[in-house]
Amino acid sequence: MLLFRSEETIDRWCEAQGVARRPTVSLEQLWRLAVTWYENRLTPESRRPAPDEMVGIFSAIGLTGPFWDPKSDQWS
Amino acid sequence: MDFETTVKLRLYRTIAETTRVPDAAELARALDASTDRVKEAFRTLSGRRLLVLEPGTASRIRMAPPFSAVETPFLVRVGEKAYYANCVWDALGVSAALHRDARVLASDGHTGEPLDLEVRGGKPVARPCAIHFAVPAARWWDDIIHT
Repeated sequence: MLLFRSEETIDRWCEAQGVARRPTVSLEQLWRLAVTWYENRLTPESRRPAPDEMVGIFSAIGLTGPFWDPKSDQWS
Repeated sequence: MDFETTVKLRLYRTIAETTRVPDAAELARALDASTDRVKEAFRTLSGRRLLVLEPGTASRIRMAPPFSAVETPFLVRVGEKAYYANCVWDALGVSAALHRDARVLASDGHTGEPLDLEVRGGKPVARPCAIHFAVPAARWWDDIIHT
């Protein structure tokens, strides 16, 4: 994922790269993901969320649908 | 505590303290273990998607998320130390993992203009920006270095 100044520069980047426009997240949403993924990373218990857990984590911050489902077969 | 967990903890604590990602030989010396045993632990942790190894070797780590072993466009300053992160998500993740405020020296993905972020008081300082996910979650690990 990449950081952009605005939605407008994302549009310009997608056009220049010839790639599809995909979802964006806000800084606040990304911070929630960063905390969920990494706040325990320096502890013995740390682990990566399982796919079903990931769906719940994304949904809790408003990211829903097949794009955010690690088990979706829509993209295969 | 099993050996993989011991390796993981020593790995991450070494990164936190030194800002460098150690290789298998360095960790083996620190843990008084064989390099082969540490490499096997690296493979196990890689299988759990907790590490990304350099292609073709179990001796060296490319990513110990959120930290990167190589220079990236995401430099994270925490106090007097500076860490490279794998992406903007991981850049904030360095702050979250270390439980420290941080400044992320990044740039706009299209224009290249400086676009710094800051975590202060345990939360990001609001600023105009957006994060674009080009790859769906189901494909993130097809090529995690690209993602």
